[in-house]
Amino acid sequence: MRTALVLLLILALASVAGSLVPQVGVADARIAQTFRDHPLRAQIYDRLGLFDVFGSWWFTLIYVLLFVSLVACLIPRTRAAVRNVRSRPQPARELDAMRHYAEHPVPEPPGRVIERARRVLGRRLFRVEASPADMTDGSPLALAADKGLAREVGSLLFHWAFLLILVGVVWGRGTGFSGRAVIVEGQTWTEAHANYDGQIREGRLFGEDHSGLRITVDDFEARYRVPSGIPEEFVTRARLADADGRQLGSVDIRVNHPAAAEGVKIYQFGYGWAPVIEVTKAGEPIASGPVVCEQDRAPEGVSQLQLPWNCVVKLPTLEPQVGIAFTLWPDIRGLTSLLETGTSMPMLVRFDPVMTFVAYRGDLRADQPVRTNDLDTSVLQRWTEGAVGAGETKEIGNGIEVTFEDLRNYTVLEIKRDRGLWLLLAAAILILVGLLPALYTSRRKVWVTAEADGDGSLVRVGGFALQRRPQFEEEFVRLVDAIAGAPRTAPEREEVRT
Amino acid sequence: MTGSGWARISTDAFNVALWSYIAGMLAYFHYLAFRRRTVWMIGLSAASLGVVAHTVSIVARGVAAGRPPWGNMYEYSSLLALLVVAAYLVVVEGMYRIRTLGGFALAFSVFTMAIAVQFLYVGPQPLVPALNSYWRQIHVTSMIVSSSLLALGSVITIVYLVKDRFERSATPPAISGGSTDLDRVEDAPPHFEAGADEPPAAARPARRGLLPSAAVLDRVAYRTLAFAFPLWTFGIITGAIWAEEAWGRYWGWDPKETWSFITWVVFAGYLHARATSGWKGRRAAVIAMVGFVSLLITYYAVNLWIVGLHSYAGV
Repeated sequence: MRTALVLLLILALASVAGSLVPQVGVADARIAQTFRDHPLRAQIYDRLGLFDVFGSWWFTLIYVLLFVSLVACLIPRTRAAVRNVRSRPQPARELDAMRHYAEHPVPEPPGRVIERARRVLGRRLFRVEASPADMTDGSPLALAADKGLAREVGSLLFHWAFLLILVGVVWGRGTGFSGRAVIVEGQTWTEAHANYDGQIREGRLFGEDHSGLRITVDDFEARYRVPSGIPEEFVTRARLADADGRQLGSVDIRVNHPAAAEGVKIYQFGYGWAPVIEVTKAGEPIASGPVVCEQDRAPEGVSQLQLPWNCVVKLPTLEPQVGIAFTLWPDIRGLTSLLETGTSMPMLVRFDPVMTFVAYRGDLRADQPVRTNDLDTSVLQRWTEGAVGAGETKEIGNGIEVTFEDLRNYTVLEIKRDRGLWLLLAAAILILVGLLPALYTSRRKVWVTAEADGDGSLVRVGGFALQRRPQFEEEFVRLVDAIAGAPRTAPEREEVRT
Repeated sequence: MTGSGWARISTDAFNVALWSYIAGMLAYFHYLAFRRRTVWMIGLSAASLGVVAHTVSIVARGVAAGRPPWGNMYEYSSLLALLVVAAYLVVVEGMYRIRTLGGFALAFSVFTMAIAVQFLYVGPQPLVPALNSYWRQIHVTSMIVSSSLLALGSVITIVYLVKDRFERSATPPAISGGSTDLDRVEDAPPHFEAGADEPPAAARPARRGLLPSAAVLDRVAYRTLAFAFPLWTFGIITGAIWAEEAWGRYWGWDPKETWSFITWVVFAGYLHARATSGWKGRRAAVIAMVGFVSLLITYYAVNLWIVGLHSYAGV
């Protein structure tokens, strides 16, 4: 037990480190800042895995060792507990050597007294075992009783449940996946590996059995309080269909209210803007459709809502190739405020959306792996720039025209499958169910003998408690009274007055 | 009545409660020193009046904000302070009939409330969508009740350590320093020592002094902490369930999660220490102190200085 406890404390200390040093995935910006401001320290932290404590090899080592020592500790305890539960209470001699002992003369014969003792103890949920009656040699009638096995059983359940947690986590993560889907209003998205655009983590035991669920997003709404900018509601209204196209019904996916279908859960994760842009050359359309725009991360002290959205339209079929970088302001007042005062204002609602753009000519380097919304401007020449409002058309030059047809939202959904959740829930229940008796019940043992004594008999009661002895002291007095059939003479509960 | 009217009532009642607690604290400390029954009654009345005013304050705050009043640090601190006093009155005064610890419990609450009103106050506001879940109600309720009990148990543990030191210096050391385990039996599992929840000082005669005997203090502290621990466990579990609903992951080693886990580990260590011979009493109490510090970090430091998902619960 000591080894396990020490390892548990080491685990806690490692967690302290993990909460003080910024962690990958939780505080990436602060990690980058540490690398800028304290390169040496950042290097050392990085080598030691301190930026990813909970994924580091030594953290894994600690908890693997912890579980090994826990199991090593639990197996003999479980064996002993099973033995204890199976065996009946054992008879004892020398009752008067027990911590608690009392003897009472009673008017009834021994058999009646023992019968009453059995009832009294049974009513109090003791396990009772009478020694075989053997009146011939004049030895007294005896019974042994004990109570409180739930303490050890509960403690074992509690501890084993942590192993179940480990199994649940490994199984759930191993066989599951979680990824992010970007879906523009009006589009249908199918749950399959290719459609995550690489934004997916799949477990090692994952068998590529994606659900094929189809999500059609009808509408996304982000509502903020005006003017505070406190978010009020994010909701994706969608229709679901299974892989064969059978409709599964409509769902509203909100923060805190995920949808579930076909074994996957769908969470509201984020959203953004997708302007519908059409590009024509001499009246012939060359590109058309919604374009997903992204935001830079807001610097300290600036609200994310103050920032515009960026996206790129690439036209590789033109000669020379053309790339247009758009900057979208869903609320034109954000842009005017920036131009007039130097700072933008939070854009809480859609209001006269406008896009500024810069067009480039040259080689898009389409053969290089570049993100959709990145433009490699190294071999491109800046060509023209301008602004286009919703519903407007602007000519870039050479007969190329850009139309800002419509502004839609896109929603980012986190899609997840974790088959270990049931194990974890079961473990959580076992932990609580085990913890209560482990903490609040106590192991007690009582022996009773009754011996013929004149007309009646002499009853002897001995016993002890392994825990909660002060309480047992009172309980013992009450037990003896009840067994002896005496009127209640137990003293009032002693109060600690100081 | 308007929201601002309720907010006003809440603030006024908060002040009444704070001053009642301060008065009660002074009276209880006076009682501790001089044992005047009337002073104790003044202390008890002041604390009770404080509890009533405090309840009014918290309810009014909930009405003003239009939601349960435990949505940010100020509200959470206020509720914690109320529950510590209430738990003291019910558990220590009511169940254990100990009157001398009131000053310490009230001092904790006064301190918590002073910090709350000085540094953490924000006006009543509605909640952001991520906090809008009924799991949150269960999670926050169990966390706040268990942290109030952990705080109360820890405060009593501090008093125990002081008293124990005093008793040690006043009495010769007990023979072999522990209860005599004459009745240890064979089938008791080896790691499970007899008398897990008994202080080693049980054999020592309780001497009359300023405070209850160390043995009694130790027992009351243990009971309180042992009651709080499953609740804290339940709070972590419901928090994980809520995180699964809100963020799509049940555990993410976010600083608040991490520190609640650390606190859990330390108090688990305390409970194990209580069941281990040679670790009962002072050593276990020291572990409980570490747990108390960890609780305070979980509670204050994570929200105020460490960035994480829980930090949007705000100040």
